[in-house]
Amino acid sequence: MDIGFSPEEQEFREQCRDWLQTHIPAEKRPLNADEALDFDKAWQRQLFEAGWAGINWPERYGGRGLSIVQQVIWLEEYARARAPWIGANFVGINHGGPTLIVNASDAQKAFHLPKILKGEAIWCQGFSEPGAGSDLAGIRTKGRIEGDEIVINGSKIWTSFAHVADYQELVLRTEEGSQRHKGLSWVICDMKAPGITVRPIRKMSGQVEFAEVFYDDVRIPLDNVVGGLGNGWAVAMSTLSFERGTGFIADQVKQSQEVDDLIATARAEGLITDDRIAEDLAQLKAEVSAVRAMTYRNISEVERRGQPGPEASIIRLFTAELGQRIERMGIRLMGERLLDFRYGDDDLVHDYLRGFAATIAGGSAQIQRDIIGERMLGLPRSR
Amino acid sequence: MDLTPNDEQEALRTATVDWLADNMPLDQARTRPASIWQGMEDMGWFGLTTGAMGLDHATEALLFAELGRFLAPVSAISTAVAARWSDTEGKVALALGERILDSGDTETALGLFDGKAGLVSYQAAAAEPSLDLSTAQTILDAAPEPALLGESEAALHFRLLTAAYAVGCAEAAGAMATEYAKMREQFGKPIGSFQAIKHMCADMAVRSQVCRSQLYYAACALDGEDPDVDFHIGAAKRLADQAALENGRANIQIHGGIGMTDEALAHLPLKRAHLLQFVAPTATAELL
Repeated sequence: MDIGFSPEEQEFREQCRDWLQTHIPAEKRPLNADEALDFDKAWQRQLFEAGWAGINWPERYGGRGLSIVQQVIWLEEYARARAPWIGANFVGINHGGPTLIVNASDAQKAFHLPKILKGEAIWCQGFSEPGAGSDLAGIRTKGRIEGDEIVINGSKIWTSFAHVADYQELVLRTEEGSQRHKGLSWVICDMKAPGITVRPIRKMSGQVEFAEVFYDDVRIPLDNVVGGLGNGWAVAMSTLSFERGTGFIADQVKQSQEVDDLIATARAEGLITDDRIAEDLAQLKAEVSAVRAMTYRNISEVERRGQPGPEASIIRLFTAELGQRIERMGIRLMGERLLDFRYGDDDLVHDYLRGFAATIAGGSAQIQRDIIGERMLGLPRSR
Repeated sequence: MDLTPNDEQEALRTATVDWLADNMPLDQARTRPASIWQGMEDMGWFGLTTGAMGLDHATEALLFAELGRFLAPVSAISTAVAARWSDTEGKVALALGERILDSGDTETALGLFDGKAGLVSYQAAAAEPSLDLSTAQTILDAAPEPALLGESEAALHFRLLTAAYAVGCAEAAGAMATEYAKMREQFGKPIGSFQAIKHMCADMAVRSQVCRSQLYYAACALDGEDPDVDFHIGAAKRLADQAALENGRANIQIHGGIGMTDEALAHLPLKRAHLLQFVAPTATAELL
């Protein structure tokens, strides 16, 4: 075991650092999805042109075909340089794209992957429904097959970036009368197709980022099915497991910076002399350090065995809850200034309110604990 | 960068676990034969990082976590550190202020004194039981004067191995609780099928994973002379101490009434966790 990087990897890190230093946009990324769209697209385009998009994606689809360790180095340096969040490109880069790489046909990959990397196509996710949250297998949105088309009716909710997206990774029921995990399909839905209505939803942080999506006889080609008709559950799960890969490292670096900032604030304002505050800050610092160790372990596991171990669910749960503990420390240090928050502010209070999503979205903390208990520890199923 | 054990390390770990399972089962933790020490010495655990064997701290931490899982004698820690950083031979007990832990069969102990590792000599006396039923102690009239070891790494090494013990202790409690939750039935089902219990088991697994990962990183930081090695070992000890204590308590809760008894084993990791809290603890200021 060792925590050092090879000379080639060190050199790669230097390249990342140098480029980021001179290219990070001076302006701040706008908070709301529609205002941020141009910013997000331009930044993604710039990343692509400089060779920083899709570092470990296949070369034939616009990626660079480099190692997962290099991807991790890039993400570490990206966060360290406080580069802007990739925003609207998030779903395409972190969910849709990786799912296509594993499950899609050559034609689908050749069409979509370069567009995602270049920031030309914005993707959104269409998994959750009003009646299918944690119980994702309760999906009721229907796809009726008519000739070489699928006719879609139903609705999705909590769809981030839906009102600015070009495509959606949509999971729907394509087999009439099917139950639970069976009869679902993962399809690419054109968000500009007739019959789609998007109703943006404002979050309690004031931000407008996610939306409700309604489908009224929306027609998409049958060719847009990815991974085979009726195979949607397996395809969707491959996305979720990818999500449990390298992504944590950027969060780790960001959390580490946040904790250092909080320690600096507590020192500057004399709050560090409060033993309870000092104790909790020390704890956060130790925990953030452990996230890096866990992520490195997970990446080493992928390098050694080709796939992440079940402990990825642990990193996910721990990172989400740690992020909330950091945010809560932030507002604790703030005192009554907390009350001055207004919609549109982009500060610690905003992060705190937005941060509730960390233990809800993409599998709640409770579902994560079920997964750890059942798949990792082998405890009997609850449901 | 690689934070997973390689094949050689896995083989050493397997050999360690096999020996411990045969010779040091938890149900004999309070009545171990005197010959156990010779057996441990024969396994080479006290000299892993000495010049003769020349293994790294990462390998050593991996194996000491297994020792910790079986609640092995805590003097394995002090003996290994003494073997690495002094000329002392044979068993070295663990000094904790005026207390000498695992004090039998030797008159030398090693501990931390104002953050520095040092050796003390003491008069052999009848050892008395401690809260941790697998550890006997001798209480001296006054804290002995130490002969400090020259190398500052000795204190880091000492804390690292204690952290490894605590990681093993946390995992022992977690594993015990999870096994019990699979077996014990109420309302016609294993209690582990209920989310209230399952989520406690999951949290124990999270705590174990967190501290084991930080332990690996810390051990590598010591091997690689990382500038932040003090922080990483300090963080590993703190996280492992918390995991051992919290998992120890949760284990008893999951066992219910039987967990309250002297006869069941659930109280053993908790009591060991309490002991380890006092050995090379990490102060808040060391992490800030």
